[in-house]
Amino acid sequence: MRWLLGIAAFAAAWLLPYALGGYSMHVVDVAIIFAVLAIGLGLTMGVAGQINLAQVAFFGVGAYAVAILTTGAGLGFWTASVLALVAAVVAGLLAGIPALRMQSHYLGIVTLGLALAFINWVTNAHVAGRAEGISDIPVPPMFGIDLSSAYLFYYVELIVFVVFLALALFVTHSPLGRRLRAMRDDDLAAGALGAEIPLLRMTAFVLSGLYGGVAGVLYAGLIRFVAPETFSIGNMFLLLAMVIIGGRSSIVGCVVGALALAFVREALLDVSAFAQLGYGVIVVLVVVFFPKGLAGLLSRRKAGGRARLGPFQEYGTAAADEGTVLEVEGVTKRFRGLVALEDITLSVPAGQIRGIVGPNGSGKTTLFNVVSGFYSPTRGRVRLHGRDVTNLAPYRLSLRGVARTFQNLRLFEDLSVRENVLLGLDRTRTAWIWRYLATPWAVARYSRGLNRSAEEIIARFGLQEVADAVPRALPYGIQRRVEIARAMAMSPSLLLLDEPAAGLNGEEVRQLAEIVRSIRGSGVTVVVIEHNMGLVMSLCDHVTVLSSGRVIADGPPDEVAVDPDVVAAYLGDSMAAPTESEVEHAEG
Amino acid sequence: MRITLVATALLAALTACAPPGQSGSTGTQASGPIKIANINAQSGQLSSLGQWENKGVKLAIKEVNAAGGVNGRQIQLDLFDDQGDPTVGTNLARKIAAEGYIAMLGTAESAVTLAMAPILKDAKIPNITSGQSPKLAELKSPFLFLNAPTSVTFDETLAKYLVDEKGYKKIALISNNGAYGSGEHDAFLTSLKTRRVTPVADEVVTPDQKDFNANLAKIREQDPEVLFIGAEEVQSGLIAKQARELGLKAVIAGGAPIGTDVYATTAGLPNAEGSIVSSPYLSNEASDAIKAFAAKYKTEYNEDARMHVAKAYDGAMIMVEALRATGGEGGQKLADAIRAVKRDGLLGAYTYDEFGVGIHETKIGLVKDGKVVPEAAS
Amino acid sequence: MQVLLQTLIGGITFGAVYALVAMGFSIVYRTMGLVNFAHGSVVMIGAYAASTFYMATRLPFAVAMVVAIVVTGLIGLIIERFLRPLENKDFTLMLIGTIGFGAVLEALAILIWGATGHAVPNPVATEPIDLGGVRIPTYSLLVIGVAALATALLALFLQRTKTGAAMQAVAMDHEAATACGIHVGRSNATAFAIGACLAAVAGSLIGPMLYVNPTMGGTLGIKGFAAAMLGGFGSMPGAIVGGMAFGLLDAFAAGNFQEYSELVTFVVFAVVVMIRPMGIFGEATVNRA
Repeated sequence: MRWLLGIAAFAAAWLLPYALGGYSMHVVDVAIIFAVLAIGLGLTMGVAGQINLAQVAFFGVGAYAVAILTTGAGLGFWTASVLALVAAVVAGLLAGIPALRMQSHYLGIVTLGLALAFINWVTNAHVAGRAEGISDIPVPPMFGIDLSSAYLFYYVELIVFVVFLALALFVTHSPLGRRLRAMRDDDLAAGALGAEIPLLRMTAFVLSGLYGGVAGVLYAGLIRFVAPETFSIGNMFLLLAMVIIGGRSSIVGCVVGALALAFVREALLDVSAFAQLGYGVIVVLVVVFFPKGLAGLLSRRKAGGRARLGPFQEYGTAAADEGTVLEVEGVTKRFRGLVALEDITLSVPAGQIRGIVGPNGSGKTTLFNVVSGFYSPTRGRVRLHGRDVTNLAPYRLSLRGVARTFQNLRLFEDLSVRENVLLGLDRTRTAWIWRYLATPWAVARYSRGLNRSAEEIIARFGLQEVADAVPRALPYGIQRRVEIARAMAMSPSLLLLDEPAAGLNGEEVRQLAEIVRSIRGSGVTVVVIEHNMGLVMSLCDHVTVLSSGRVIADGPPDEVAVDPDVVAAYLGDSMAAPTESEVEHAEG
Repeated sequence: MRITLVATALLAALTACAPPGQSGSTGTQASGPIKIANINAQSGQLSSLGQWENKGVKLAIKEVNAAGGVNGRQIQLDLFDDQGDPTVGTNLARKIAAEGYIAMLGTAESAVTLAMAPILKDAKIPNITSGQSPKLAELKSPFLFLNAPTSVTFDETLAKYLVDEKGYKKIALISNNGAYGSGEHDAFLTSLKTRRVTPVADEVVTPDQKDFNANLAKIREQDPEVLFIGAEEVQSGLIAKQARELGLKAVIAGGAPIGTDVYATTAGLPNAEGSIVSSPYLSNEASDAIKAFAAKYKTEYNEDARMHVAKAYDGAMIMVEALRATGGEGGQKLADAIRAVKRDGLLGAYTYDEFGVGIHETKIGLVKDGKVVPEAAS
Repeated sequence: MQVLLQTLIGGITFGAVYALVAMGFSIVYRTMGLVNFAHGSVVMIGAYAASTFYMATRLPFAVAMVVAIVVTGLIGLIIERFLRPLENKDFTLMLIGTIGFGAVLEALAILIWGATGHAVPNPVATEPIDLGGVRIPTYSLLVIGVAALATALLALFLQRTKTGAAMQAVAMDHEAATACGIHVGRSNATAFAIGACLAAVAGSLIGPMLYVNPTMGGTLGIKGFAAAMLGGFGSMPGAIVGGMAFGLLDAFAAGNFQEYSELVTFVVFAVVVMIRPMGIFGEATVNRA
């Protein structure tokens, strides 16, 4: 059905020029350029969540590079275009560097500053024609077809547009796009699932640069004149409005928004003060009432309201590896003088279910954060299967078989349950992304394989009924199970569960115990932080007790339970100790 | 799949046919109103210029229509907003070409006019612009005409007065890097060079800059006799104000912006006092014709006339005169007719050369109490 | 040396204005978690309010300023009603929503006052003070003095009054403050009104320094925002230091890099923020991966 719609739209677009006058044709040509830009911005901002206010500068880099290389260096239009794309991508890479260090409004203002710096440079540089810009860019040659005609240029634009729209749709719906969206929703959880956050952010900016460059080349070919004002902040905001009104996380929405606003702007050209008023009011209304834009009006996700969990299907048993899976050796973690962990040493043999207990603020989650790579320990070492993994980034640990869940549930709220599971399944490195351009069919095949595996996991964890719902819409108990399913999708050798029973009812706790035992039975080593002592006693083979950042007891559950130090710690003045969240807060 | 095939076949068939948009051209009608477009910024940073230009043009066309139009035909004047953006300008150039306008008046910004010029040339639409960048003349487009002198003329007159007549040697420059400012900078520097004068300081600022303490302090160290300002009205005023606050005693000189009330009020009247301006239109009292025009303008809009409205008015009148000569016909004939116009306008005597420049001299005036008086009279 | 000192004077004067703008950004951000990109346009409204009263009624400048502060503060309350749904929403929506609001304010200013703008006469007509060749305009002293006074009053308000303390509490912990019975909505409205008042102070001060027109808010907003970030977003001392730092950076870039000053300013800014992403005084909520 979608294909049919797409083909119909393309046929209509192909026939469009027959119905338009010369000027309308030109307006359409300009609108398509904005649509390409909007796709690029949609990819970086909507899909990858990177606030990028330099999109208009990438556009400028592309257009100016063509102008300078054709008029100044005497290159042919298409040679210059290829180089212009390279230049725009490099600009994207440079502008993306700040994204490695900062996000949100910080990234916004820095990219905006870089865009201003670019405008300032072209206004001054003699090579860029200074304030008057560069005119007389040659007409792009095309086997004798006269591309100075707005009608014929339209077909060039249309083909380029369709190709890049298809690429954007492909990227969004592929494993890469899923990771980008996961990064947007929660970059920490995405990292824990094996997504290389720095590389993904750069990828987003490279895509942004690429689309900016393509739009710039088309602009240079169509208008055949460049000047600084075209790449001004005002146009950047217009572009932003296009993306927001259309619906930023939907690529098609961005295109619709761009086309709509370009035409509206054209229609209101002669009443600009009122146009600005109207445009401002519309933007405010859309943001307040339809935050998902036009695209959000059309698509509604299935709600998982009454959905039920199916039964869990046990894993087959497999022998666990020999030896020690996790060794923590003398780990100390301090936050600005506050000691969260003090000289922790513990080792977890393969195939064990290890319980970590202790009062609030005793450092349990901090320990998990150290083991899973979120924090670097101040002192001490962490070893996995005998290999030193201290200071490794979360995604590296994830690729080495460490999976974890979070105390306060970090499911990707805007992704369906199935997509959450798929993210766990996807074990590729981000460096794999060159295949998206070189061998897209291989990517598609890989993606189909992932989908099959996802169905298996969804069935195993009894999530069939809720597979297409977003986690937000599901009851808490189901969300907990989804998080375990997602972690298990990573086929880990070590599973870290942070308070998996919190908020569960009695029956759900019983099912949880069954699941964890089955997971252990399949050869996975499990470490679990838990407050529900009944569960700990019945489930764990071995328990480590923390208090105020130290190990105060370590042994089988029944021994530990009667240890006088443990009793004292639980009954004693544990309220005086800083809570864990306070300690972590102080670190910022 | 079958549908894809059908669709592909259909498309292939269509492409084989004649490409769209080749048939039908917009001819100029011999009856009905004559359509003239006025393109000027009505919004954005420099919209005040655009609004003045538009008022001047509107006044001229209103008079012409009231007096019976061109050979019995009325003129239809439509205003388009280019927002000061060259891209919007190129869109509008195509728009007026498609909608059958036979002539265009505006814009006030050289960068926009430069962007539009090739399209208007292809469409054979004569354009009388209010821009004054020397680059406009360099284009040598047969369809582009200026209603004022270029910066070269403004600054040559100024340099002649300052160096040759007054004998100043220590001259400092401050200009912005926008289209207008850099044009002024280059033209004035060239005029100084031909007189073998090297400026003692040459500071360049950005059009958005507000604090000139650093630049002016450097200039002050050189203790110049003259401070040449190449910037738009408001920025010129700010520079003059801060220069005086820094105790810079140099005589301030510059092009048309220095002659405006915006400059004088922004600088503060005492700071603007004695500034030297080079302009073809010094004041509303310069001649009887100008006095009459200023009075008309005042009645129409209840504000004082200024150079921008006067030159827009002149440009519109030249266009009308040319249209009378062609009998309302546009294209190459109209362009030739404009080139043939000899008009004694508000800015001076218009005789167009092959560069499309009609006015070739400016006069020197002094700012006195916020108003410009001709130099000779002072 | 004279050039250096003179540049310093200019930098500090504009720095004081940036600091006021940055404080407006910060107080709104720390209390309501709203990054208000319409703030620049609120400054513009403040400038128009003050200059219109000053020029039309011939009121003394100080009176005109107070009137402008009150009027802009009230306008701020109205704006806050509109922006309320955006508070604590995700950043992209806030960004574009407040930019949209800024566009509305700008369009309204064009419709009310026209696109042309007007110059505002200098209210202090005395000669600049000459210190060994370095000249300090008396108006600059006024600007710095008023900015310092506004800062002191704000600090007193935040630390010594009940409403101020409540706002501090909301800034620190939204939920805990609610639990303590603090009316978060009222606190937010107060914060926004104070932000608008600061904008009015900045706007009325900058009127006679510059030229009042509908588009003046754009650059002021961006530079004020960058200043707030440089100091540490949400931190009041950070806003002051950031404002001064940005003013000086701007001034020295203009002196040394001429027409490339903007490029230098923003590249230096980007590098500094890269090195210290949380600004000089730090903000607690920066994303880490």
